[in-house]
Amino acid sequence: MPPPSSRMTKNRPQPIRYRPGKAEVAEEASEDEESEQSDDEAAQEEVAAPRAPQPKATSFPSHNKLAVDLSKADQQTSAAPKSAPKKQDDDDLEGFVTASESSEEDEAGGSSDEEGADSSEEEEESSDDEPKKPMLRPTFISKAKRAQQATAQPQRSADDAAAEEERKRKEKADEMLQAQLERDAANRAAGRKAWDDDADINPEDEVDDTDGVDPEAERAAWKLRELKRVRRDRLAIEEKEKEREEIERRRNMTAEEREAEDKIYIDAQKEDREGKGQMGFMQKYHHKGAFFVGDEQDEEVQKVMNRDLAGARFVDETGDKGVLPEYMRIRDMTKLGKKGRTKYKDLKAEDTGRWGTELGNKRRDYDGLDDRFRPDERGGGGGEREQTGANAQPVGERRRREDDDGYRDRDGKRVRYD
Amino acid sequence: MVHHADAKKALDERGYTGTLLHGDNPLKLFEKAVRDRIVDSYYWKEQCFGLNAATLLDRATDLSFIGGTYGVAQKPTPFLCLAFKLLQLTPSKDIILFYLHQEEFKYLRALAAFYVRLAWEKDEEVYKTLEPYLADRRKLRRRVREGWALTYVDDFVDDLLVKGRVCATTLPKVNPRGFLEDEGKLEERVSALGEELEEMDEDSGGDESEGEVEEVGSAMVVGRGGGDGEVVSDEEMSGD
Repeated sequence: MPPPSSRMTKNRPQPIRYRPGKAEVAEEASEDEESEQSDDEAAQEEVAAPRAPQPKATSFPSHNKLAVDLSKADQQTSAAPKSAPKKQDDDDLEGFVTASESSEEDEAGGSSDEEGADSSEEEEESSDDEPKKPMLRPTFISKAKRAQQATAQPQRSADDAAAEEERKRKEKADEMLQAQLERDAANRAAGRKAWDDDADINPEDEVDDTDGVDPEAERAAWKLRELKRVRRDRLAIEEKEKEREEIERRRNMTAEEREAEDKIYIDAQKEDREGKGQMGFMQKYHHKGAFFVGDEQDEEVQKVMNRDLAGARFVDETGDKGVLPEYMRIRDMTKLGKKGRTKYKDLKAEDTGRWGTELGNKRRDYDGLDDRFRPDERGGGGGEREQTGANAQPVGERRRREDDDGYRDRDGKRVRYD
Repeated sequence: MVHHADAKKALDERGYTGTLLHGDNPLKLFEKAVRDRIVDSYYWKEQCFGLNAATLLDRATDLSFIGGTYGVAQKPTPFLCLAFKLLQLTPSKDIILFYLHQEEFKYLRALAAFYVRLAWEKDEEVYKTLEPYLADRRKLRRRVREGWALTYVDDFVDDLLVKGRVCATTLPKVNPRGFLEDEGKLEERVSALGEELEEMDEDSGGDESEGEVEEVGSAMVVGRGGGDGEVVSDEEMSGD
């Protein structure tokens, strides 16, 4: 795998350009360019190297649980709690590489091939750490020592590493499961449910449903309820009985008796409806609304509600304007006394038409006179309607001349008859 | 019948091929709005997934209140969710009767009673099964729209038998008891008070019944009012 670059580009890092007014911080760039290739390989291992003293975090699995030799620090896969202390160490140790560490690094460098898996995980962190990587001090290992290193590394086989990893993972899973179980038990003990988001309302405070607090009182309460139920049932039965009796009674009566009873009932109804009073002269019509009321109202309330006010707005309002003087008999009392008020009452009162009142009023002086003495017809007689005596014969057809073809009116001349 | 763990098919109205209650999908006994609330609730999603009769029993023993929906958003109670699950599973009569017979868990009993009222189609069976529990006087905590209320097992069973709507569901129509008695399918109810009731009746029509009335309510006011009226008029006349 090619060495990871922190800048994610294949371009060579250029020297920083001059920008007027900006301070130059250009020294690292040139160094990085030169040592880039050599550093990248060792960088991954260096990141792991200063981790030798493990931090004592409580979330971290304890020493005995992890059956892992902590001295093999570089082999460990990354775990979240470790990343923070790692970075801290990095900051502290930046630029300082002791002789012992550098020898470790060399050992680690030889095993880079086998730890492909590990290093891939560590790269995530090493990519962060690369700008802060400590500077290497190249140490010289003689040929003999180099050979020793080479033989020491391959003993740690891939299988072992895999087995180590698995064990670690299992431990972690067990520990997480343990934590979850403990949390569940704690929640159950506290009475919280995962699906209940209003557990802060403690139900026991509101209503207590423990039985046996006061057996006598409970028994008495139950007895009361049971009696109510029994009474309800009995009343229902009685109602039904009454209805049946009524039906029987009516069936046994004759038709006349039935009518008599019905009449009484209807008259009573009519009285209720009409006994409310007539509408006075020019009284405003008011209907109090057709809402069902039922029996819930008290008698007093019913009396008040059924008063015969007819929508009067104030106490002295007279429904019947017949008692007022003529001047005050107006519909809209606000117009009373205003200048220029015409006393227009209503259309009917102001109408001057006669509307059939005088149909039979036409009488003439000559009504009883004989036909001979009646006056002539007015209006000219309508043109000879009455023909008496010699004028009573009908007039014959007019003679036609032969040379006449119909009417000779074309010249505008009068038609002649000779 | 194949049991699917999440029973999606039961909720889908088109392809339903399971048992029918009252001639339709059992889940339709709950209204659409209530069904939607139940299925969207956390309790249903977490706790009611893949239940069978035995695991439902476990859940029911953990119940601590009854109720329908509550709150502004009409949140369903666990009671309602479990009832919905029972409708989905439609367990056999034996299982439900077993639930009912459990003395130790009153909420389980309430749940089973609710299911009996909803699911059983023969009216006589409903009455016969539920009426013995009118003697169970234990307290039940009930979640109402705003807050809590106290009720009793016998009160709850009575509501199931008499009322039309309980716990956010409209109960299927059942003939009133009088009707069934007239038809001869049921005997008259023998109250759990039994002997005490007879004693009360024997004592007298007058004092005892009036005592009852005072204790209980105002329905019989007419009788008393008449009595009072007469007394007053006598006094007046004697005064004059």
